[in-house]
Amino acid sequence: MKTDNTRHAIPGDAPIIRLEKVTKRFGHTIAVNAVDLSVMPKEKVVIIGPSGSGKSTLLRAINILEEIDEGAIVFEGRQVGYVEKKGRRALDTPKNVCALRAEIGMVFQHFHLFPHMTVCENIMEGPMTVQGKSREEAHIIAVDMLKKVGLLDKQGVYPATLSGGQKQRVAIARALAMKPKIMLFDEPTSALDPELVGEVFNTIKGLADEGMTMIIVTHQMGFAREIADRVIFMESGQFVTEAPPKEFFGACMKHPRVASFVDSIL
Amino acid sequence: MRSTIRRGFLLLIGLILLALPLAASASEHNSSQTLFREASNLIAAGDYQAALKTLDQISPPSGRDDAGDFVKSRMQKAQLYHALGAFDEAGSSCREVLALFPDHMEATQFLASLAKAQKSKLALFFDDMKLFLPSLIHGAGMTLFLVVITMMISPLGGLLLALGRMSGVAPLRGLCWSIIWFFRGTPLLLQLFFIYYGLPAFGVTLSPTISAIIGLGINYSAYLAEIIRAGIESIDHGQMEAAKAIGMSYTQAMRRVIIPQTYKRLMPPVGNEFIALIKDTALVSTIAMVELMRSANQMFNTYFNVNVLIIAAMIYLLFTTIFTVTFEKIEKRVGAYENR
Repeated sequence: MKTDNTRHAIPGDAPIIRLEKVTKRFGHTIAVNAVDLSVMPKEKVVIIGPSGSGKSTLLRAINILEEIDEGAIVFEGRQVGYVEKKGRRALDTPKNVCALRAEIGMVFQHFHLFPHMTVCENIMEGPMTVQGKSREEAHIIAVDMLKKVGLLDKQGVYPATLSGGQKQRVAIARALAMKPKIMLFDEPTSALDPELVGEVFNTIKGLADEGMTMIIVTHQMGFAREIADRVIFMESGQFVTEAPPKEFFGACMKHPRVASFVDSIL
Repeated sequence: MRSTIRRGFLLLIGLILLALPLAASASEHNSSQTLFREASNLIAAGDYQAALKTLDQISPPSGRDDAGDFVKSRMQKAQLYHALGAFDEAGSSCREVLALFPDHMEATQFLASLAKAQKSKLALFFDDMKLFLPSLIHGAGMTLFLVVITMMISPLGGLLLALGRMSGVAPLRGLCWSIIWFFRGTPLLLQLFFIYYGLPAFGVTLSPTISAIIGLGINYSAYLAEIIRAGIESIDHGQMEAAKAIGMSYTQAMRRVIIPQTYKRLMPPVGNEFIALIKDTALVSTIAMVELMRSANQMFNTYFNVNVLIIAAMIYLLFTTIFTVTFEKIEKRVGAYENR
């Protein structure tokens, strides 16, 4: 199932995003514990692990929806969310944070479509409000994106009338409309009825085939198997093991935690 | 002695001369008085028709005769007819008097009150309406003006206070909290008094209109602030995150995503506030503003006619009804996306 766009981390190549010793605490709980991660352009990383293991927090930290307590996230050579001020780490300006977020696409478990806007307006919102594009330009982009997710016929309706799978596809189109350099998927199919998982999966698969860099947090082993260049198992805020899917579902299954988790899912 | 007798004799002659015409008239007078007495006995006995006939026997005066008894009899007839509910007959009795004395005041007034008594209650109410409406409408105009101005100021002020109250900047949050706390925690009447009568002590003298607008504006901003804050906080946090995730700033997210979603939820409580506002404008009558309540009060004090208050109440009800219906329509329209 691998495509031409698949690639593995090659030493010496510049990663699109790099996490260095990223730590996030909620009070006394350590959600993410000194995690290192490098993602190469066009690479697809799938993170799995039990709930509460810190996968979502890690993903949200990359989009600066969570502040991190230690470490650094570097996106294309720029530190994400923070600046060094007189040797001390300080929050970056809202303007820079927004600019970074615009380049990082994110898809949420619960879609979070804007209910007061039609499907088309949802997708046009980013290009118009954030990128300052004209209505006509934004509409062309929206139509393009809707074709990509196969929902062009739904462009005039409000999200309330869509099925969960359709909503998530619109949410993907909304993120894609910003022409992001990387896509983050936070459990994109967890809120869906089983029969609707397929359409969303296929949309993400299509995106992967086009060479989009992506980090996916999921409980769907099928995702990991079919899309991933690298599967990471996370538990208690740390990466327990990581490997290409073949290895992961082969050799790594000897790892007792991985084996018991995968068993519990399947 | 002789002179005393003569003086007494002359006095006697004089008295007799004086008494002669009196006695002659007394005989006639006596007959009217007998008739009056008879009539009042009949009235006491409850035989009104007979009483009327008796009074009728008092004939119109001829020539230079004194007409007092005739007028008295006709007025008594009119009253009797009026008491019996026979307004037309009562009227013609009055007109008999007026035919003789066109300027007779009692008859004129009685005729006027007859006309009034013959009118229906509703017609009388409409007469009052014609009398009171012009100045009440004038007052209602001012009420409407204050309501509309406050409706424009307070949502804006309320939004700013709400955003300030949710701000991450502690001093701003404290300031907005204090403003809301103060203006919700003290009577509007006191606030209006303070602005109009109290501020001049600090060298700030404002006109009644400006005072009213400031008082109502801030007070309603404080109330709306809490409603708006609740509305914003009721929107799923994911909406803000989704907006941020596509690169929107806080302001853009609020303006484009969060606040538009609060409209439908805000309509019922805000509509409620605005209806309260319509009635609260009555308080500004205490700071020399002539609006509907004060107009009504002035008219009532002049005419002591309860219809003034009824008409004023009807105008208030008209306003609140229009607002209620309008807000229901708007609520349906802004929330249309939820069930389309």
